[in-house]
Amino acid sequence: MPSEPDDKGMDQFVAEVRAFLDANATRRAHVGDEVVWGEGEDRITYFSTDPPEVEAARVAAAKAWQKVRYDNGFGWITGPPEFGGRNLTSLHDLVYDSLEAEYDVPDTGVLSLIGLGMIGPTILAHGTEELKRRYLPAMYAGRIIACQLFSEPGAGSDLASLATRAVRERDGWVLNGQKVWTSVAQHAAIGLALCRTDPEKPKHKGITAFIVDMSAPGVDVRPLRQMSGGAEFNEVFLTDVYVPDDHRLGPVDGGWGVALTTLMNERASVGGEGAGPAGRAVGLQFLTELLRANGRQADAAARRRLAELFADQAASEYLNRQALRRFRAGEQPGPEASVSKLMYAQNLTRGAHFAAEIVGPRLVADTGEWGTFSWTELLLATPALRILGGTEEIMKNILAERVLGLPKEPGIDTTSPFRELRRSGRTGA
Amino acid sequence: MSTGADARAADTARAEVSDTELAELRTTVRNFLSTRADESAVRAAMDSERGYDEKVWSQIAGELGLPALALPTEYGGDGCGLVELSVVIGEMGRVLLPSPFFSTVVLAATAVVASGDAGAAERLLPGIAAGTTTATRAAPPRAGSWEPAAGALGVRVTGSGSEREVVLEGTAPLVVEGAAADVALVVADGPAGPTLYEVEATADGVTRTTLRGLDLTRRMARIDFRNAPARLVGRPGGAALAVARVLDVATTALAAEQVGAARACLETATAYAKERMQFGRPIGSFQAVKHKCADMFARVQVADAAAVEAARAVDGAPGSPDPGVAAAVAHAVCSEAFMAVAAENIQVHGGIGFTWEHSAHLYYRRAKASQLLFGGPAVYYERLLRRAGV
Ligand SMILES: Cc1cc2nc3c(=O)[nH]c(=O)nc-3n(C[C@H](O)[C@H](O)[C@H](O)COP(=O)(O)OP(=O)(O)OC[C@H]3O[C@@H](n4cnc5c(N)ncnc54)[C@H](O)[C@@H]3O)c2cc1C
Repeated sequence: MPSEPDDKGMDQFVAEVRAFLDANATRRAHVGDEVVWGEGEDRITYFSTDPPEVEAARVAAAKAWQKVRYDNGFGWITGPPEFGGRNLTSLHDLVYDSLEAEYDVPDTGVLSLIGLGMIGPTILAHGTEELKRRYLPAMYAGRIIACQLFSEPGAGSDLASLATRAVRERDGWVLNGQKVWTSVAQHAAIGLALCRTDPEKPKHKGITAFIVDMSAPGVDVRPLRQMSGGAEFNEVFLTDVYVPDDHRLGPVDGGWGVALTTLMNERASVGGEGAGPAGRAVGLQFLTELLRANGRQADAAARRRLAELFADQAASEYLNRQALRRFRAGEQPGPEASVSKLMYAQNLTRGAHFAAEIVGPRLVADTGEWGTFSWTELLLATPALRILGGTEEIMKNILAERVLGLPKEPGIDTTSPFRELRRSGRTGA
Repeated sequence: MSTGADARAADTARAEVSDTELAELRTTVRNFLSTRADESAVRAAMDSERGYDEKVWSQIAGELGLPALALPTEYGGDGCGLVELSVVIGEMGRVLLPSPFFSTVVLAATAVVASGDAGAAERLLPGIAAGTTTATRAAPPRAGSWEPAAGALGVRVTGSGSEREVVLEGTAPLVVEGAAADVALVVADGPAGPTLYEVEATADGVTRTTLRGLDLTRRMARIDFRNAPARLVGRPGGAALAVARVLDVATTALAAEQVGAARACLETATAYAKERMQFGRPIGSFQAVKHKCADMFARVQVADAAAVEAARAVDGAPGSPDPGVAAAVAHAVCSEAFMAVAAENIQVHGGIGFTWEHSAHLYYRRAKASQLLFGGPAVYYERLLRRAGV
């Protein structure tokens, strides 16, 4: 993303970022989208499939690089200075990311996607001064990882039907219940947990949010293996876990408002996700090389599908650019941001299936040829994109009801006490 | 590649228009069209002899000055860009306004400007800006791609008094608003290759025949040239560059029109889904219907982004993508989106949506006709790849 030519401050920022990166990282041989077919690691990673020791080393490297960023003033570009931020705009953030993409640096997704992208902003918006001081600098300096303890076996799309109980005791609360699909919980020092504090109230009105110390007695994290092979998400069992009241976020029974902050940031971060290895792999350049390497560059049917893919990708990118422009002009992202999330999942999914078709039988088993079997990683990851951060159906409900103003589903009960609702899965209390 | 680079160099001096100014422009045009071009007015115009309401056309020019908006200031224009023009065309698309605006201002005027021929510009543009001249551009028909292939243009030079004054022979079979145009810009096979010529529609040897059309709100005509006098525009053999520029501008303007029309379909469908009751509830509370509307919305949003970005790119706005690529992306995405949304609009309405009286078919017709006007999917997807260097 180029800076506006008239923006002196931005030019200075760019120079500062360049100097920092040149001093602390190595620039890639091939910059930007440039693709050299057959060169480099033959992987199209989305979810990790590495064994635990490799994974642990990767997490350590991510934390170390985040610390270097932080120590040099790039750990939290948009954050307030009192918690280690730089107080700059989202555009600066984006400019930083695009410059950093030219360098070989550790992937920090394990910290940033959930912790820094979603939980950090939630703590900032709803936390007490004490909580902010305690956790925000530690998170953005790469010392601790945060996870999102929202989903439960009985509460997914219908998150507000969650049943994990928090009961007042002494100066705090005692938590009991089960969370599930919790990404990065195995690496996390803290988690943002939504708990039922009043089952007599309607489901949205009896929830409270807490910051849970993941090393507290009674917190049991068990890895869940994903269809892609690795185990990035987990079940988290909470058994008589004590949480002091100063670790509450927002008012008692006011946790739904806290959750909405997290979810808004989640949608923005999933839909706005930039290239990354997967995005580059389904981009025009890489797929064109794929066609060429397979002698299909003149195949009309393949070209047609490639063009259709590229048209939608480019238009989605334009949509994100324009959202960013409006954001810079001071407009807050609204529920229509769900379109970006839908498009992101759709574009990656179509790209993966297109590549699979071109690779053909060499995707069935690993022949050792570069650029063939490696597509399985992406192919096995894309189904998750249509689920995580809100399923496709839920995104469409949001667009239809909140943007277009269509009537809500009849029969969805938002007024009866939580205790009286029909739910599947384990109940909390 | 397009000639976007030249245009960009010329355009960099223009200050970027603010969102507020664009919104004001939109409101002005929308208010005007809501009184002068409501559905009954559009239907009356489409059934009329000429195919559009000449009074409305003269008000569009005289009261609102819209034809002048994006023309160069030295020829009576306001010197605005495609970003502003797109707002106007989007509003016209929204109501399916029958008018020679697109053919005159987008197809013909762009060809004249892109030809770099100052004489032709002086002859034609002030009249176009004032709304007193209507014009169009006769496209090479065969490949359907609008990209002139020498020897296959359907119209050729058969005699000449001079390099500048020639006579033409042949047929342009599908000309947008061809019957209403005072002047036709014709790409013909000349001695030096594909060349742009200007033909007076009333000249001897020119026959215009209105065709039965799929799209009832945009007339098409055949123009036959039999020893028809024509005047050179631009350089002999120089049509190719002008055509590339016209294609980028025309497909981008068309994309804006498609988005305006698609948004009208979305709004009609959504309003109906809220009010139509079946099984004791509004049909919009059934998730199948609700999700159709959400899908329509998503398509319109993405198409809108593509059209806006293409207009910015063709105008040479800082930080925008390559204009040739952006225009091709917009043409593909907006054509597909409008077609899908126009079709779904009928489904959401059920039987009433299939009636002649309902507006849905007018949009459906425009959607398909505009999707195919510059060649259709096979052509625009291939052009997109070529523009992107694949
Ligand atoms: C890779 C991955 C990582 C994740 N990480 C986290 C995490 O870190 N923290 C966390 O809290 N959660 C996480 N999640 C959980 C995720 O948010 C949920 O999976 C998601 O919200 C869907 O809930 P569910 O799985 O219970 O499915 P369900 O809600 O049971 O949905 C099943 C099906 O029913 C449909 N459905 C449900 N309700 C409706 C309705 N009203 N209308 C129409 N269709 C409906 C859904 O669209 C879906 O197709 C993760 C999920 C994945 C896949």
